[in-house]
Amino acid sequence: MATEVLADDRGLRESRRQRAFAEMEANDIDVLLLGREANARYVSGAPRLWTAGTRPFGPGCVVVRATGAVHLVSTWDEGIPDDIPHEHLFGITWNPGNLLAWLRGIDGMAEARRIGTDSLTPRFAQLFPKVFPSAELVDAEPALQAARRIKTPEEVEAIRASITVAETALAVALSELRPGVSERHLAGVFMEAMARQGVTTPATQRVAWISRRRPHGRGEAGAVGAADLVAFDAGVVAGGYTGELGRTWPAGPAAVDAATRALYRQADDVWSRLLGACEAGTSCHGLLAAYEAAGHPLPPFPIATGLGLGFDVPLVDRHLPLTAGQDRLLPGMVLAVTAHVGGEGPGAVLRKEAVLVTAAGPEVLTTSPHWRP
Amino acid sequence: MDEQGVEALILLGNSNVAYATGASWPLEDPGRANVKRPVAVVTADDEQPHLFTPFPGLATPGSCLAEDHVHGPVYLEFDEGAKAFGGILAELVPGERKVAVDELPGSMRRAHELLFPGGAPASADDVVGAAKLVKTPDELGFLRTALQITEQAIAPVQAALAPGVRQVDLTAVFLRAAFDLGADGNILDPIFQVMPARLADGPWTTHGDIACPLVTTERQLARGDVLWVDTGISYAGFASDFGRTWLVGTEPTPRQQAQFRSWKEILDAVLAVTRAGATGADLTRAALAACGGRTPWMPHFYLGHGLGVDSAESPFIGTDLGDAYDERQVLAAGTVLVLEPLVWDDGAAGYRSEEVIVVTDDGWIPLTDYPYDPYGD
Repeated sequence: MATEVLADDRGLRESRRQRAFAEMEANDIDVLLLGREANARYVSGAPRLWTAGTRPFGPGCVVVRATGAVHLVSTWDEGIPDDIPHEHLFGITWNPGNLLAWLRGIDGMAEARRIGTDSLTPRFAQLFPKVFPSAELVDAEPALQAARRIKTPEEVEAIRASITVAETALAVALSELRPGVSERHLAGVFMEAMARQGVTTPATQRVAWISRRRPHGRGEAGAVGAADLVAFDAGVVAGGYTGELGRTWPAGPAAVDAATRALYRQADDVWSRLLGACEAGTSCHGLLAAYEAAGHPLPPFPIATGLGLGFDVPLVDRHLPLTAGQDRLLPGMVLAVTAHVGGEGPGAVLRKEAVLVTAAGPEVLTTSPHWRP
Repeated sequence: MDEQGVEALILLGNSNVAYATGASWPLEDPGRANVKRPVAVVTADDEQPHLFTPFPGLATPGSCLAEDHVHGPVYLEFDEGAKAFGGILAELVPGERKVAVDELPGSMRRAHELLFPGGAPASADDVVGAAKLVKTPDELGFLRTALQITEQAIAPVQAALAPGVRQVDLTAVFLRAAFDLGADGNILDPIFQVMPARLADGPWTTHGDIACPLVTTERQLARGDVLWVDTGISYAGFASDFGRTWLVGTEPTPRQQAQFRSWKEILDAVLAVTRAGATGADLTRAALAACGGRTPWMPHFYLGHGLGVDSAESPFIGTDLGDAYDERQVLAAGTVLVLEPLVWDDGAAGYRSEEVIVVTDDGWIPLTDYPYDPYGD
């Protein structure tokens, strides 16, 4: 991280923009109206203020295929790459009329036949056809997802850097794990260690929770007891890219018994099957099948998600079996893959690793130590 | 809902879901939050909303939803998820229902026939936005706690100010303290912006005015730096907002003290006209009059905004929506406002702070309780 707000490196910007324009062409999209920050960052390379949670849709970035230009809502040029000139910036506005007037005035907008958006609201769904009567409004998310799901070499490096920050911060949080500390304290220690490394934006904010609470080891309410297992599921957003991992640690020797050891061995078994399913060219359904093969139920959350600018497809979850069957793993995808065994009663062991899919097989990017039975 | 003839609301926006269900969860990066998000369905004939959540076990700490109203996740960003949701919706609200939504991802548009058999959906923002304006006593309680956590967490940050300290170190101190004090999450990358003495020394802007907020970096603070601070956290689904001007390693000069006094005069002038029934335009007029006609707030933002489940929500006062819009914003008792006037004194930077208040029938009650140090007496 630098001492001033910097645009993403030229190599990163150009490699991404090339992929975005290729998908615009393949999907016959003339103009992109982007509201989602990660999409805007992908094509613009401009870091803007991070906020947590979803944001209402509003076009804040415009890409015109005919001119090759990127236009951006930004009141200042700090952090804006030099290939987006001042005349392509538009100040923050609260007035839809001003926003639409800006869009209308953009070079190439009037000729656009197909305009793609990455989401919509009922209001914009009504407004856009009136403002651009000769254009067809299409969903651009499939095109953007197709571009973003395969990482360029520069993006893989950015994800590696982000993972390093997350792993260092997790190590600091782990050093504070002892009976009596609260889940929130562990989250706070993680956040502090993240920021000391120059990264001030988390990917997730729960960070740590007690995955098993044993009555005889119970501490204060909300505090870790001597016989508890604590799951860490932590991530950071560095330079826009998410690095994350998951580990489970016993709070102390009192948490370790035969059942605990068995849980960890089962988690290792699920994990090795999941890793085996991360082969390029295979269906994402193989990841769901890995749980079945190991004889463990699928957890109630995604077992694999793409890592990139925030989130990328695929998303592999028991609620979306058809989607998993249709999605293929391809070289250049980076996934966060989660092994999770156990549940209430015995407790749960969670293990999440970042995996780069390559033609020569999966490469595990995360290196943080595990507790070993 | 009745006023708009809507039988069901489908809410996808995090803050709308939190508002409708009382559920809270640690907010995630927006990219992930778009996909892994709780969804609420509010129907006209059921007092309780339905919550579909990907956060098992975290569903309802702040709400009292019945168990049969809390369900597993629906992934509306995926065609498979949107279709499955069509089936769920048909059971909850059968027939050609009139529905309002707050967002329409492509997958929901492709499942239009299934999801919206009663025709194009209306905007849920109108329904929820109107309801959010007035805070209940419970909501005010959560907001007070969120603000207290923020103020207690920012105090050690101010104590850590010194030449050589990096902006990110201030963030580190703040986040650590905020979580230890019970915050559920950080809602924006905290701002510790070093203001240039003159506008001409700052970044180019579209309007020729102040560039703010600029993102935090590893920049080291230097003695005499003027810092504009802006941050907030979430607690039980509610957002806080905090803004102050600090100085690094020095006391204010007489000129800087004068900036603060001018700022205080503007704030007091605005507060003097703030009460239920006053319009947003009454507030902007008072601010302009106290500042000799120069606009004493950032032209790309506002003089003031609401605060609740969102860190900036209606009413917005002093935006580029214009005077006529501000005239239509009539303050109600129970509305929470963040007032953020500023004084720019080209050559010596300026002063900006934020004050959170709740509007009452005959005035207002302060919710911010943090000193102006090192400014003031």
